[in-house]
Amino acid sequence: MLARHAENLFWAGRYLERAEQTARIVDVSYHSLLETPPAEAEDAWRQLLDVLHLAAEFGDSAVPTGQDPFATTVTRFMVSDRGNPGSVVSSIRQARENLRSVREMISTECWEATNSLYLQMQGRDLSADLAQRPYEPLGDVRRGAALAIGLANDTMRHDDGWRFMTLGRMLERVAMISRLLLVRVADGDVHSDIGFHDGVAILKSVSASEVYRRTHRRMDPAGVVSFLLLERDFPRSVLYCLDSAEVQLVALGSGTSQAGRAHRTLGRLRAAIEYRNADELLDEGLQGFLTWVDESVREISDMVIDEFFSHNPPGDLQSLGVS
Amino acid sequence: MEPSTSPASDPNWIEGYHTDGFFDEVFEPDGTPRPHYRGLVERVGTFTTESLNQRERLRDQLFRTRGITFTVYKEDEGVERTFPMDLVPRIIPADEWALVEAGLHQRVTALNRFLDDLYDGDQTIIKDGVIPRWLVVSSEGFCREAHGIKALHGARCVIAGIDLVRDGEGTYRVLEDNLRSPSGISYVLENRDAMTRVLPGAFAAHHVRPVDHYGQLLLAALKAVAPQAAGESPRVVVLTPGIYNSAYFEHAFLARQMGVDLVEGRDLVVDEHVLYMRTTKGLKRVDVVYRRIDDDFLDPVVFRPDSMLGVPGIVGAARAGNVTISNALGNGVADDKAVYAYVPDMIRHYLNEEPILPNVETYLLWDEEQRAMVLDRLHELVVKPVAESGGYGMLIGPAADEDELERFRELITADPRNYIAQEVIQLSRHPTLVGDSIEGRHVDLRPFIITGDTTTVFPGGLTRVALRKGSLVVNSSQGGGSKDTWVLHGNDNEDLPGVDDARARMRRRSEDVAQQAPEAGPGQDGATSTSVSVDGARLDDGGR
Repeated sequence: MLARHAENLFWAGRYLERAEQTARIVDVSYHSLLETPPAEAEDAWRQLLDVLHLAAEFGDSAVPTGQDPFATTVTRFMVSDRGNPGSVVSSIRQARENLRSVREMISTECWEATNSLYLQMQGRDLSADLAQRPYEPLGDVRRGAALAIGLANDTMRHDDGWRFMTLGRMLERVAMISRLLLVRVADGDVHSDIGFHDGVAILKSVSASEVYRRTHRRMDPAGVVSFLLLERDFPRSVLYCLDSAEVQLVALGSGTSQAGRAHRTLGRLRAAIEYRNADELLDEGLQGFLTWVDESVREISDMVIDEFFSHNPPGDLQSLGVS
Repeated sequence: MEPSTSPASDPNWIEGYHTDGFFDEVFEPDGTPRPHYRGLVERVGTFTTESLNQRERLRDQLFRTRGITFTVYKEDEGVERTFPMDLVPRIIPADEWALVEAGLHQRVTALNRFLDDLYDGDQTIIKDGVIPRWLVVSSEGFCREAHGIKALHGARCVIAGIDLVRDGEGTYRVLEDNLRSPSGISYVLENRDAMTRVLPGAFAAHHVRPVDHYGQLLLAALKAVAPQAAGESPRVVVLTPGIYNSAYFEHAFLARQMGVDLVEGRDLVVDEHVLYMRTTKGLKRVDVVYRRIDDDFLDPVVFRPDSMLGVPGIVGAARAGNVTISNALGNGVADDKAVYAYVPDMIRHYLNEEPILPNVETYLLWDEEQRAMVLDRLHELVVKPVAESGGYGMLIGPAADEDELERFRELITADPRNYIAQEVIQLSRHPTLVGDSIEGRHVDLRPFIITGDTTTVFPGGLTRVALRKGSLVVNSSQGGGSKDTWVLHGNDNEDLPGVDDARARMRRRSEDVAQQAPEAGPGQDGATSTSVSVDGARLDDGGR
């Protein structure tokens, strides 16, 4: 298939996932921090922005109004701020733009779901909704994105195009889960300090709290870490996502030879997680490990772009007089 | 399936229709339908208003859900519109079409010969003094960079769209040649498809030539002009400026119809004078580019260096004979409206034949005598800029006020080479559904002519209709609509319902089946009027 189309689908997958995941994180953070003293809550928000690589943009772009609580300012920044490239509305817009460019290659249902999510976000006063009842718009985003993704899975042929989209989604999800854990787990206190509330909040952010309770009795760091990293059968665990991403890469023809750098790097990352247990991870320093996961995903993404989307002839374009 | 009786309260569509002294496609001056229209007139006459409205709703729904739109530019803002298709089809009988077909074949053959002579020949037409050199080289569409680029079979214009009109006597005349990137073929196919769903019964009474093989025909022609080195199965692509282009729908449509990739400039790359496209599995060689990007934007190395739409080096690759660019570079010189005036001479020069289809009487304004006459009679004439298309920038003398006339007097005097003047043609009219009644509206016809190793005139074409009352401008960008255009098979007699023709019977039978098939959409008689939110305002607006 055309490299440009593949790239559009890859990014559409990433952006749809990012929109949904960001909405979840904001939702859970907002509601779980309501019972926290304002100063501590602000710290927690800032830590979240930091981990999501949005702290700098927040400083530049967000305008606190003085009257609104800090939570509302952050929430607006992360959800409705068009100037923030990582906001929910920006992600939805980007997902739509990417899908629009490959309109011929995706199912009408998937396109319509994405488009109506976009239109729905355009058509409402998000800022007011977020100040008064953030639960509602955030729920709409989660459902809208899930619908678009679900329809892509259910109405598209699982060909190369779909595989690139799924690859994008899975990589994005791994990055988001590892960042989420990073927010709640600071080095030094990992053995003891995922408190009950933090644990529930993390799990809820990936809609895992109910599943977790059925499979684990206790809310302890090892349990939460092992669940979110190592639970192979749960679609919102890192290992599950890496497995799926690997399946797509293999099917797309990324070898394990010299050329298949993305596949090799992904395989190494998967193995590093798969053959460890939670205690080892906690002993070795979870923060460092999660940062490595986040960075690896970024590397893999770059390698996918390089391997599949950026073919250039060996010759030198400069010789044509083009800069 | 059609209503067979009409309650007394229903309007008789035909009564009250006036030809107003124009040449009418359907009715003789005395009000009787022309023979090839009798069946249709009878059928439309039986429709109730409600039935017509339901069909219109069905049509609107079809076009909307398929996203068949074009973009109109006004003050920087692009607005997506559907190109409204009128429910009353245009019918061209076989004998009439035979003449048009021969005329178009002749004209496009001569135009291709002219272009090849100019860019890759001895320029005999200039040497023999048929066309002045200065006129050719001063044309905006003339392209020095095209010189020496070969075209297999001399097919520099693979897809031509020639605009025809019929004058007050019903004579077909050529109004314009479009030899660069003529658009509209997608509407021809979509209109037909919509008509078979909206008015299936009407087809049964006629033997209409099909149009759905266009994609195959075009692909075969494009493959025929591929570089010989490409071998048995050359790779063809459609090159589009992208999703924001007004004709993007058509670009995607054509790629789909041909089963080839729709690419943008950034998907292509030239290395060592060979064109490649970037796929997920590496670079793949491309042999033929059906491009819908203007010359100026095609190659930043050769033309506008700021163009982001094109492909650096693609002209060099074409010159090296490694890729065919269709339509070829520099075709604009032959659809220059001043060069147009010389096309009859081209036909005589290259083919040694008399033109079958006449031009519209055209005045060249660098000629002092003609200019003086034109300036004198400006209020009676039409003035067009030579390089524009789409109906932009023209003057219609009889409809213009004194300010506008004065403005054009100045424009012409300042740059006479840039304008031509033509007599006003009283374009033929065709009954058209306007609101709840049928009124005469002016129409033209854009047939498409495909040239590969041979030249084929595609049956019919796009009939454009000026929906505004009295308007002579049919362009989609200027409030025009369209009509499905039926070219009848040669063995059709005047009154098909009475003809005992086995083929017609078979056709009728197969259409009955088609009518019952689920893909025929909501009931032909509008039995299902659910879920159709009516947007009938579109036709109403056009009527005022």
